[in-house]
Amino acid sequence: MTEGHSNIVGFCCNYAGRVSEEVLREAGLMPDGVRIERLPCTGRLEVTTLLDALEAGADAVFVAGCEEGTCHNLSGSHRAHKKVGVAKGILAELDMDPGLVEMFFVPRAETGPLVSAAREMASRVAGGKKGQRSER
Amino acid sequence: MIIAERKPLREILEMISGMEKVLVLGCRGCVAVCSAGGDAEVDVLASALKLGRKRQGKAIHIDKDTLVRQCDPEYLEPIKTLGREYDAVLSMACGVGVNFIADRCPGVNVLPAVNTSFFGANLSSGEWKEMCAGCGACVLHLTGGLCPVARCAKSLSNGPCGGSVGGRCEIDPNVSCVWNLIYDKLSELKRSEDMKEIMPIRDWRTAGHGGPRNRRREDLLP
Repeated sequence: MTEGHSNIVGFCCNYAGRVSEEVLREAGLMPDGVRIERLPCTGRLEVTTLLDALEAGADAVFVAGCEEGTCHNLSGSHRAHKKVGVAKGILAELDMDPGLVEMFFVPRAETGPLVSAAREMASRVAGGKKGQRSER
Repeated sequence: MIIAERKPLREILEMISGMEKVLVLGCRGCVAVCSAGGDAEVDVLASALKLGRKRQGKAIHIDKDTLVRQCDPEYLEPIKTLGREYDAVLSMACGVGVNFIADRCPGVNVLPAVNTSFFGANLSSGEWKEMCAGCGACVLHLTGGLCPVARCAKSLSNGPCGGSVGGRCEIDPNVSCVWNLIYDKLSELKRSEDMKEIMPIRDWRTAGHGGPRNRRREDLLP
């Protein structure tokens, strides 16, 4: 985990939170250090995508998919949720905080929940860094 | 099919501790079908190990490959030379594959990445159950097709034992008493009288108690 700015990757369903990351950032809503990767469907995500993002330097990773029952592809976000669960298990096995990977179900027409998800992850990362500093 | 399960990451990381170049080698046979050691699991293990080593502050180079099967010599040929380029070949095949690489590939350090569990059936996606013990002396014709060797906790030939209560095994209330199932199955087939026939004492030599087992078919040998 790097000092200072957090580095968070959010994998977001193309149909959820449709406003772009840039617009949200310009409006002062999206925390610094959060990068949103749009996917045609979060069901396409692989466990390796989440792990590789962390290995590449992300402090935390989250997935924002359609709410249950509203998934554009019926069960994409449900499958993504399961893969996030697998990734959490792997982090636990590696003595890492499973909370560094999270699934969020966000309504398709609203951006607020996507921003909240990003802020939640930024808060977790900041909390982790604070914890690390206090342990030193 | 053979059912396997990935070993805990901590155990695998310990095995490859100090190594700098590892090949994660999957198998497209049974372990791919039971989602333990096919292409997808190779990818996940490689990513997890890279992340784990990064966390340890130790760099590692990991390559990935998957063979059609690790239990047939023709598919192992490339590993004889390729395997020597690595500190270890981390096999995601069952124990058969690991043994076969160790036997056939001199100079290759092969390590197991999965625990080989049992011969089982796929009950549903993500759920497997032991159905056969590979004992080498099948008695399924006497038991309605249900195996007392694999599915009875005591491998009784003439059950049930006194621990069968309400159709459940005393070892675990979630485990069916296979002798109860056998009775129900034979009754369904109007063969419940078969239960009265006492099976002779088993010869366990065919189950591996007589040493490692081999099978040769002269008509197929080269």
